[in-house]
Amino acid sequence: MDTYDAADGDEHPLLGRLIRVGFFLLAQSIAVMLVAFVALLVSFGTSWSATTEQASLLQPGDARSGSLLLKEDGTTTEAIRLGTDVDITVSGPTLRARVTQAFRNPTKDWVEATYVYPLATDGAVDTLKMVVGDRIIVGDIKERQQARVIYEQARRAGQKAALTEQERPNIFTNSVANIGPGETVLVQIEYQEPVHQSGDEYSLRVPLVVGPRYNPAPIVQSVDFRKDGSGWGATTDPVPDRDRISPPVLDPAKNAPVNPTSITVRLNAGFALGEVKSHHHNVKVESRDDTTRVVTLADGAVPADRDFELTWKPAAEKAPSVGLLREHVGDADYLLAFVTPPSAGQAAQKPLPREVVFVIDNSGSMGGTSIVQAKVSLTYALGRLQPNDRFNVIRFDDTMDVLFPASVPADAAHVAEATSFVSALQARGGTEMVPAMRAALSDKLGDTGMVRQVVFLTDGAIGDEQQLFETITAMRGRSRVFMVGIGSAPNTYLMTRAAELGRGAFTHIGSVEQVEERMRGLFAKLENPAVTSLSARFSESKADVTPAIIPDVYRDEPLVLAAKLDKLAGSLEIKGRVGDRPWSVTLPLQNAAEGKGLSKLWAKRKIGDAEVARTLRELTPEDADKTILALALDHQLVTRLTSLVAVDKTPSRPEGKPLKLSELPINLPAGWDFEKVFGERQQPTQLRERHADARNQPAARRPTPAAPDAIRLPKTATSAELKIIAGLVLIVLALILFVFNRRQPLLTDAA
Amino acid sequence: MPRLIPPLALALIGLILFGDGAYIHAKAWLAQVLLERAFDRSVASGEAVKPWSWADTWPVARIEVKRIGASAIVLEGTSGQALAFGPGHIRQTVDAGERGVAVYAAHRDTHFRFLRNVAIGDIIEITRRDGRHFRYRADVSDVVRFDASGIEPATHDFELVLATCWPFDAVTSGPERFILHATLIEADR
Repeated sequence: MDTYDAADGDEHPLLGRLIRVGFFLLAQSIAVMLVAFVALLVSFGTSWSATTEQASLLQPGDARSGSLLLKEDGTTTEAIRLGTDVDITVSGPTLRARVTQAFRNPTKDWVEATYVYPLATDGAVDTLKMVVGDRIIVGDIKERQQARVIYEQARRAGQKAALTEQERPNIFTNSVANIGPGETVLVQIEYQEPVHQSGDEYSLRVPLVVGPRYNPAPIVQSVDFRKDGSGWGATTDPVPDRDRISPPVLDPAKNAPVNPTSITVRLNAGFALGEVKSHHHNVKVESRDDTTRVVTLADGAVPADRDFELTWKPAAEKAPSVGLLREHVGDADYLLAFVTPPSAGQAAQKPLPREVVFVIDNSGSMGGTSIVQAKVSLTYALGRLQPNDRFNVIRFDDTMDVLFPASVPADAAHVAEATSFVSALQARGGTEMVPAMRAALSDKLGDTGMVRQVVFLTDGAIGDEQQLFETITAMRGRSRVFMVGIGSAPNTYLMTRAAELGRGAFTHIGSVEQVEERMRGLFAKLENPAVTSLSARFSESKADVTPAIIPDVYRDEPLVLAAKLDKLAGSLEIKGRVGDRPWSVTLPLQNAAEGKGLSKLWAKRKIGDAEVARTLRELTPEDADKTILALALDHQLVTRLTSLVAVDKTPSRPEGKPLKLSELPINLPAGWDFEKVFGERQQPTQLRERHADARNQPAARRPTPAAPDAIRLPKTATSAELKIIAGLVLIVLALILFVFNRRQPLLTDAA
Repeated sequence: MPRLIPPLALALIGLILFGDGAYIHAKAWLAQVLLERAFDRSVASGEAVKPWSWADTWPVARIEVKRIGASAIVLEGTSGQALAFGPGHIRQTVDAGERGVAVYAAHRDTHFRFLRNVAIGDIIEITRRDGRHFRYRADVSDVVRFDASGIEPATHDFELVLATCWPFDAVTSGPERFILHATLIEADR
């Protein structure tokens, strides 16, 4: 610039300089405007992105506030301990179970404990007792919300309280508030259940642990549109209560098993007993006389990590084919009838050709022994196919493969191909059951005169059972669904309800040794015609019978009817067709034996019927809920809508002492592979601090600092002030510099 | 001549920053004016009216605290875009006036600047889009972390929570949030 100055300076030194300054300023101002415009556009973007939620990157584990880490080795862990005692009395075809949970608090703090545990799917839970010292507090049945309020009030007031809530028909939660330092509180629940019968074998099943469930992430298919017709909606979570059914699970490699359980079964079969067998536990069987046994665990208490299964058979060749019980409650009589229809002449009847679709679950929860059982079962099933049958195989985890495009004849080549496909399966991934069920139910061959059957092998470890039920309901067509529950702690609720909706049957396989026996039983059902067109009629009394429409009964299965009668008179006539022959049986009601808890069983089944009707869209959700609520309150049962709550009126926790929450961890079901389910090793169990004083935390009503549905507050600060301040500072600085620059030439001129 | 460049550059950057900051406030103010009109039309027609055609949200309620003369139109959702224009209604929560907790969040330096002046006992009035009117009384305030709000969506009372960033006068954003809790005392049409 200096050289230019020298060159042009000769002619018009001042003018040239002025022009250049003018150009420079013009260029500068254009640049300023351009840059400012661009900056403004960019700033839209930044100010938008700066205000989006910053929360999403945080994992729930990071978000727990005020949590106390516990030492990891089992011996020094300061946490609530739990012991469980199960006492079952079997009286003929029904049983009554008493489950006592002892919550011991070895810590120095006041603690609230919650424990998620399973119960039998058909169990009607009607009693809650809390034992504090020498006082026994009996719980009342209340609507779920109301019970929760009563419990929360007692918790805040420092009173001991116990609450039993149903999360699924086979998953319950017990909450116990205000367990003092060093104290033990006993919580006892009781339920009534029918004994399961298949052929001449009777059985009971006590689930002891909830297998970790796969809860699918929200998908776009389920959208709740706003009612105002604006077309705006929000996607809903398929498992809205996922935090309520996902208690912490201990890694068996790092922790000693917890939750010791003792079991006693007083078996009063009502007939001379033959073999009594426990399938998954070592037991001691004491015999008092021909018809009674007392079964206890041989090694004392066991960790609650698998289902307890007991079966018994009559000493005689045949089990009694008819059972009739009655009970008088209030102004009504209740009746429970068991009838085993005769099996059709097997030799005479050649089984109809069938189309069978096998579905095998190879998700991570099936890892360990479960996948072995499933593979052996499926291989066995493939071997049982007849050459004129057609079949297909579907495997699923969070992906899915269908072996053949459509069902193929079960010739040697196809069966061999399927067998090698099955033996190569590995357990991994999530459990997306609905697409597999859809694929299995899509009937590609059409009505070929073949019987169409779906055999579904799974542990049922999912949290969105309802979606599966709706799929079966919507797509079942002429297919029948047979469920095979695999593993040490299968989801029995899913199995029974899916088989009921799919008009099939279900069986459990808990070990490789059971595979052949159980699959043979299942195949006997698959291959033999069912007893169809069943109906029941009472000659003299008005009856409310459940099931209202009697489903087909498979070979060796009893027909179980429960009824509420206005008077106990006349007889019950059951009619049906076995194969192509009519069959009927008449039971005089006067001969019924006295039974106990039948009204509860009747109510429980009516509640189940209402839930099914709701799934089938035969009842609106509101009507179904109304029916369920009325039955539950009448018969004192815990349901989806009702809970049992017990409150000790004497306050025990001194005011101002904080209350800590302890979510009791559960064992991983036996034979499961921790890493296959959870991917990696877990964080140690944590105790969370919680203030019973609601004043500190205005809206905290439930301890959900880490719950996925806890509300996260968005980022609510803009950078406006920061920018304004910084901008002003820079402008002032520029002004100072500018003034300083103008001063300098003046000073030099003066000099 | 080169001596002029640094002060001009500084002035330029300063102006941009200042303009940007002022723009946020201008946008917040202008949006409320447009929202006020859209909300009045919503109440009159009973339908969701978008304040401008390309908006991805719509007004759902008006918050007023008459004692301090504060008022704001609440938008559906709490995306960054929505919050730039007005307080947002957190989607997981119920509408005001329903059983449960309705949570509204807004920027501490624009629409919820007035929260610092709200005293316990003040009446917060909510007019919903359908024209229904609810009066809440502020009863508790608290400072929480954004991810541990302690707000229980399934409560049995009729509650309202107004949330903004804490501390009020900070210039950078942090994890803490100020929440003002209020309980329904009166509902009318």
